[in-house]
Order: sequence, then structure tokens, then C-alpha cells
Amino acid sequence: MKKKIIAFLLTITMVISLVACGQSSDGSGEKSTSGNSSDGGDKTLTVWAWDKAFNIYAMQEAEKIYQKENPDFKLNIVEVAWDDMQTQLGTILSSGDYSQLPDILLMQDFAYQKYIMTYGDLFQDLTNSGIDFSQFSEGKVANSVADGKNYGVPFDNGTEIAAYRTDILEQAGYTIEDLTDITWDRFIEIGKDVLDKTGYSLFSSQAASADILMQMIQSAGGSIWKEDGTPYFVDNEILKESIKVYKELVDTGVMARTNSWDEYIATFTSGKTLGAINGCWIMASIETAKDQSGLWNVTNMPALPGISTATNYASQGGATWGITSNCKNTELAIDFLNKTFAGSKELYDTILPSSGAIATWTPAGESEVYAEPQEFYGGEPVFQLITEFATKTPVFNTGIYYTEANDAIAVAATNVCAGADIDSELKTAEETVSFNMGN
Amino acid sequence: MIKKRESFFTYTFLILVSVLSIFPLVWMIIATTNESVDIVGGKMTLGTKFLENYANLTAEQDVWRFFGNSFKYAILTTVLSLLVCSLAGYAFEIFHDKWKDLLFKIILMTMMLPFVSLMVPLFQMFSKANLLNSTLGFLLPSISTPFLIMMFRQCAKSFPLEIIEAARIDGLNEWQIFIKMFMPTMKSTYAAATTITFMNAWNNYLWPKVIMTKGNSQTMPMMLSSLTSGYVTDYGMLMLAVLITTIPTAIVFFVLQKSFAEGITGAVK
Amino acid sequence: MSLRKKQNIMGWLFLAPGVILILCLSFYPAIQALMLSFKTGTGTNMQWCGLHNYMRIFQDKVFRQSIKNCLLYLIIQVPIMLILGMILASILNKPNLKFKGLFRTAIFLPCATSLVAYAIIFRSLFATDGFINAILMKLGILEHGYNFLSHPTSARIVIIIALIWRWTGYNMVFYLAGLQNIEYSIYEAARIDGANLFQTFFRITIPLLKPTILLTVIMSTNGTLQLFDESVNLTMGGPANASISMSHYIYNKAFQGVPNFGYTSAMSFVILIMVAILALLQMKVGDKRD
Repeated sequence: MKKKIIAFLLTITMVISLVACGQSSDGSGEKSTSGNSSDGGDKTLTVWAWDKAFNIYAMQEAEKIYQKENPDFKLNIVEVAWDDMQTQLGTILSSGDYSQLPDILLMQDFAYQKYIMTYGDLFQDLTNSGIDFSQFSEGKVANSVADGKNYGVPFDNGTEIAAYRTDILEQAGYTIEDLTDITWDRFIEIGKDVLDKTGYSLFSSQAASADILMQMIQSAGGSIWKEDGTPYFVDNEILKESIKVYKELVDTGVMARTNSWDEYIATFTSGKTLGAINGCWIMASIETAKDQSGLWNVTNMPALPGISTATNYASQGGATWGITSNCKNTELAIDFLNKTFAGSKELYDTILPSSGAIATWTPAGESEVYAEPQEFYGGEPVFQLITEFATKTPVFNTGIYYTEANDAIAVAATNVCAGADIDSELKTAEETVSFNMGN
Repeated sequence: MIKKRESFFTYTFLILVSVLSIFPLVWMIIATTNESVDIVGGKMTLGTKFLENYANLTAEQDVWRFFGNSFKYAILTTVLSLLVCSLAGYAFEIFHDKWKDLLFKIILMTMMLPFVSLMVPLFQMFSKANLLNSTLGFLLPSISTPFLIMMFRQCAKSFPLEIIEAARIDGLNEWQIFIKMFMPTMKSTYAAATTITFMNAWNNYLWPKVIMTKGNSQTMPMMLSSLTSGYVTDYGMLMLAVLITTIPTAIVFFVLQKSFAEGITGAVK
Repeated sequence: MSLRKKQNIMGWLFLAPGVILILCLSFYPAIQALMLSFKTGTGTNMQWCGLHNYMRIFQDKVFRQSIKNCLLYLIIQVPIMLILGMILASILNKPNLKFKGLFRTAIFLPCATSLVAYAIIFRSLFATDGFINAILMKLGILEHGYNFLSHPTSARIVIIIALIWRWTGYNMVFYLAGLQNIEYSIYEAARIDGANLFQTFFRITIPLLKPTILLTVIMSTNGTLQLFDESVNLTMGGPANASISMSHYIYNKAFQGVPNFGYTSAMSFVILIMVAILALLQMKVGDKRD
């Protein structure tokens, strides 16, 4: 009896510990361990993306289009939330086991530079792949270019829009034209008036993020980085002006500040603000309030006052497809992307009406689908308008340390709104980012 | 009279605490009957969209398959953990000596490091051992936890040594003592540990997500994450999914609470 | 082989599965993390740097803020939560109480409630036009709605309240289980001797629960210093990092920004050292073998 027990315990211990410590015999070989990528003969590609109704849907449509010529082509699309993808990528890349990467992955534009520079071998160089990058808008392609090399195929358009409820504007005596091509000064004037008359703020933002500030900076052709890549916060007129505008927006109540994403969405879907200023993908959230159909309209964002280079255009969000170095079937992956996201009007014509995914591939913008009136936005052809905005958007360098800069500027803006001195806050923010950049 | 007043206060207090505790759950149940816009808008009354939310949810996600996966993993983890950790906890106390006490402290230290910093080395190990994308890889890190070991070690402190001595004289070996004496006596601890382990295993997210790179073997927490990963979140659907995710733990607790709260001593009559 | 020796061997055998698993899956990676904490660089490009990362921590304002935050949560939240949990457990252990099962389940439910749901609810409860503000205004305590999550002190208080709400029932479970080892007749005897509720609680319940209390104190200390969920989901560390926790900051540094796993490992070891010191002190007090 005793022997049996000891033997039993020993077996448990051995099995568990052997397996755990990684000296397991090769015989255990589960099939799943062969990694994520497909090998030569197999025509299946694995893709990571994060929105079923948006980019995953677009991938599925692309798959269908490509399958017409290549019937044995298949995609294995894995849904990975963006935050999870960052965790997963960080873990996989640092551990060095690239075989766990998918063949193609979707990446947020603002993070592209970070991954190219930190993990030089994550993405394959597509410069000479035959994909015509000149057909994409310049500002968009810039996100996935480093040292003159192209590492990604642009997907959706994050062009900044300002969307407003025209019915409430009307109550206060304004039209969408009054909010078009204006400066933030004028915007705040109107905003105060609207707030007095109707009780609505014009738009809202999330307190923890500096996205709206980044958009102001971009719209004025500014940068948060010096030529040498070090942070440029102190004595940055455009940044300073942006924070001043931000503070005034908060003080006057023209912009409502929210503490979380769901609260942010609620401000315009259930009536605390009459508008939203964000990347055009925000339209999908606006449209969840079905009862407000026909009441919305879209125009450009306000421009920074007193800045000579100021425009009314920026972009926020948007993502790009990259082919990872784990992809063994690079030719297939390139051909697939080239014939779909970089070459198929049919694809963009399909995904625009059903998901609102606006192309950054210029030929798609010429399609008549973009000119169709949109019922939700009072019958205006808003997609055409947005593609027009996209061409006017100044190029913005997110830099490698975009997340750190965004956090630090958000902290500075929050403190300035609470009464702190703007110059000393910018100095602190610059120090914080410099600290993060040092090793 | 005093007794009556005392029990009046007791019940008032308990009802108050219970209401505070289940308020979010009630809100969640209400939310499952409303549509997304109303939920974020703060609507607090029952709606009529329950079936619609259910239809949307099951159309978008393979809920019941993920539920099954979660269940399988949670049960496996719970059974293995209880066995492994109760043995270790028992031994740390009953057979304690200088070395085992020291070892125990080392074991305890390993839980004080945030998992974030263990993830990369652990991933490397699992990748070498061909354990990525496998059930074993999913389960292994959560089987033996310092927390459960300590829980059983602490409860073994109240296990009378005289019983063990007597059993040894009666000719039972150590294994039999553990199985026949310790396990039944500590029924309440096992029941409590089951609840907690089941809950932790059921909600286990970060590690499984990281090693399941192929997206196979989805579980409920992973599904919740995908429901919130898109640009637009349907809160009606999400809340229904959250509710379905919460129920098993609640049931496990409700079923087991009697055995860990009115356990073995038989003093409660 | 002597009896003692035999028992000793059995002891090691009993320990083996659990201990080996932990040594392989936690201890060994922890050693690797320790080595990493003496290196610096981004991504996979790491060089040895000695104690540089640890020196760097002293200059990191945000991390210093996060240490303060976690210590504050620890000092305020843990005692309230554990005492409340103990009181609830001793009430719910009474043999003649009705609806015990329902009460217990209700009080346990918060920790089973998914984070997604409870974060949304807490945020909306404490929103400027939320339920809490409505009540405070009705009672005349506040004149205007107060944005709890956008002020440093109130944001920290919201985190503490949320933690107490979520984990009291969880700790109650251990006390309930621990109480089963106390014969109810001891209480009866005390009662006959004229001891009141407080006396029995402090003289009988607490001393007999000592092993369980030590368990919950160590686990709560560890849990609070490694706090992550609430900081990420409730306040997002805000406003301006005023409520960020150490683990949250480490996670951000490791996976949101440009990663320097050397530096994040060093910060992790700061947490380990803090918890270890506190746990050792707690064990000194609570883990004596007489």
C-alpha cells in the first residue's frame, strides 16, 4: 500500500514537473505547437484584428474577393482586443518565439513607429513588394514608414470630424455652416451661447487622454518632437495654445470632460452634448442612437487661433495592416493585400455602406458609393466630405514615444485646468517623457 | 426584549449590507433587458429587449461553447489545485521543521511579484516546452498557488495532533490519515477553497489569452473582452454576457456555503 | 529507518507536487525577472546595467506617487474590510439566524461580479449627475454635483470604497470557514458567564481565528500592493496619476509604451520587497508556534 502511494505521488510529481520545466519528451507533440504561421503549401493566413463589425468584417470581405481567383485561399481571423494585442505582442516579441505571431496583424497607427523601432524584425519590409503606396494619402502612409522603408498597408481613415445635432443647434439659432471653417475662439463663443440657451455642451472628451490636444497640434501643423526626436513641449507655441484652448473649453463648459469611454459615448448618444469631435470611426457610435437619425451632420474641426499654419483638419486613430516576419508565405500575403486593400474598389465599395470603413486608398474615394447621401446625417454625402478632409490633413509625426507623450500632456492639461501654471506643467511633462526615454 | 432588539439590528444591518452588495447585480439584470443607448444613459427600469439582446449575443458569439470551455477549465483547475495544495499545506504544518518553514516563506514570496514581470520568462519556458496553445499550458500556472497552500496550512493548525498520533497507533499510514482523517474533518475549508478556486479559475484571463495565440479554446472572460474590443460596444449584449458569466460562481457559492459555514463540528443544532 | 525519518520523508513527498510546480512556474521565472532587473534597454536589446534601474526608481515621480497611493489604500482599506468581514462572518455564523444562505450569497456576490459590469456601475454611481450626488444634494450636503473621479482625494476614496465593497464578502468566506473549528458551545458558555457580544467577539472569536486572520492579512496586503483592476478600470489612474497603483504603472510601462522590461522588473521587485517585509512582520506577530 505504502509503496503504491509513494509511486503514485512520485508519478504525479514527475509528470507535472517534467512538463512544467520544459524537458518534456518530444513525444508529447501536440499539433497545436507548430506555431501560428502557415507553411509553404498551405494557403491559409492567420490574421489578428479587433472589431467584428469593422476591421474583421473588412478582412472577411477581402477574403471573399480574393477567393474568387484563389479558391483554396483561406483566412483564420483571430479577434484580439487592442490592449490584449499589445500585451501579447510584448510577451511574444520579448520572449523571442516569433512562431506565435500571426501572418498579418492590424496595428493602430499611433503605435506603428514604436513597434518598428523597438522590434525591428516584427514587420516585413514591403517597399519593393509591388504595392503602390503612392495611391494612399501621404499622411496615412507616413505612420508605417521608417528610414524610407514601408512596413504596412494602410487600412481605415481616422480623419477628424466634428459631428453635431443640427436640431439643437437650430434651437439656439445656429446652423452647421456657422461651425464650419471656424477657429476655437469662435467655437467657444458659439458654445457659450448654445450652452446658455439649450443647456448642451458642444462636445466632450475623456479626461485621461490628450487625444483632442494632439488633434489640435496636428491641425496646426505642429509637432511634439524636435528634429532629434527629443520631446518638444517647453516653448512649443502650438502646444501651449492648444492647452490654453483646452482650459477655456473646460472652464466655460463648452467641452464636457468624462472619466471613461462609456461615459464619453453616453454624452452624445443620450444627450449631454450635442456633438462629438473625433476620428471619423466615432460615427459608428453616434449611429447607435437610432432615434436621432437625420438630426446629425458633419463638418470640419475648429482651427487654432493665432497660429499661421493652422488648418481645420487632423486625424485620430485609424489602423494599418502589417505582415509579420513569421509569415512564411510572404508572396501570398503581399498578393492578397495588394489585390484587396491596395487594389480593390469592390472591397471598399462593399465595406463602406455596411461598416462605415472609409478608405485611405485614394482610388476608392472616387467611387460613387462615397457620394451617396447618408440618411442619418440629414441626407448629406458625408463620406465624400470626409475623404476630402483627408487630403487636407497635415502630416503628423507620432514618434516612438507617443503613448508616453500623450499621457504626460494629459496630466499637464488636467493640472492646468485645476489651476497649475502652464509653463511649469509643460516643463514637468517634458521631463517625464525625457525620463521615460532614458534607460 | 434585549434579544429582540438585538436581532432587529442584526437583520437591518444584514439587509442593508446585502442590498448594497447585490445592487450592481440587480442593475446588471435590468440592463440585460434594455438596449445599449439606454444602458449608458443610465436607465434603471426594466425594458423589453432581453430576447433581442440574447439573439444578438448568440448570433455574434458562440456563447454556450465558450461557457463549456470555461466550465471544463474551471473544474479541472479546481480539482487539481485542491488536491495538490491541500497536500502541501497539510505537510507544511503537520510535518513542519526548520527547512520546511523556510521553504514555505520562499513559496510565499513568489506570489508577491506582479504577474506582469513573470509573463515573459514563463512564456519562454512554455514555448520551449511546446505548451503554447494547449490545455496543459492553460492550466499549469494556476494549479499550485501559494495562497491555497497557505490556506490549508493555516487550517491544519486547528487539526488536533492527538488524532494523528492515535491514528498512527491504530496502524494508519500517513496517506490514509490525510485521506480518512484530515480531508473529512476539513470539509469546511475544502468547500471554501473550492468556491474561491473555482471563481479564480473561472475568471482567469491574462495568461490564457496570452498563450492561446491561435484564438482556439475561447473562454467566457475572453468573450467578454472581445465584446468590448470593437469601436462600438453593445452594452445590452455585454451585460447579458456578464450575467451569464457571473451565474456559475454564484451557484457554486450558494450550493457550497452551507457546507463551509455549517460544517463539521456538529455544534450547530 | 526511524519513524521520525519516515514521517519526514512523507512530509517532503506530500509537499513535492505543489512545491515543484511553484518552483518551476513562479520561482524560476522570478529569478529570470531578477536578472532582467539588472539590465536595461528597449525590446529585446538589453545590456547589463547593475543597479541602475533601482536607482532610477528614485527619480520616477509617477512610481513614487503610485507607492504612496498603494500604501494609502493598504492602511485605510485593509483594516476596515477585514474587521467588517469578521463581524459579518460572526453574525452569519449564528445558528438561529434565518435566511443565512441568502445573506451569505448576497454578501459574497460582489467579488464574483465581473469587473466590466462593476466598473461601469461604480463610475455611473459616482458621476456628476449620478446616484451618490443626487442623494448628497437631497440631504443638503452638497449644493452642486461633484465630479468624484476628477479630484485626487475623492478618486482615491472611490477606489477604497470599491475595494471594500468587492472584497469584504470574499474575506468573510475564510472567516466563516475558520469559525467552524470553534465549538459553538464555547460561545454558549461565555454567554452564560455574562459576556456580551463584544467580549465574546474579542476574547473568543478573534483569538481562535488567528491563523485565518493571518492568512487574510497577508493576502490582502499582497492584493492591495499589487492592486491593478480598480486603478485601470475605475479611475484609469487619474486624475493626473493621482490614484494610479504600482501594478497599473508597471503594466503601462511594460505593454502600453515603449517597453523596458529591465526597468519594469526592477519596479516589480520593489513591490515584492515591500510585501515581503510586511508579510514577515505579520508572520512574526501572528505565526508563532507555542
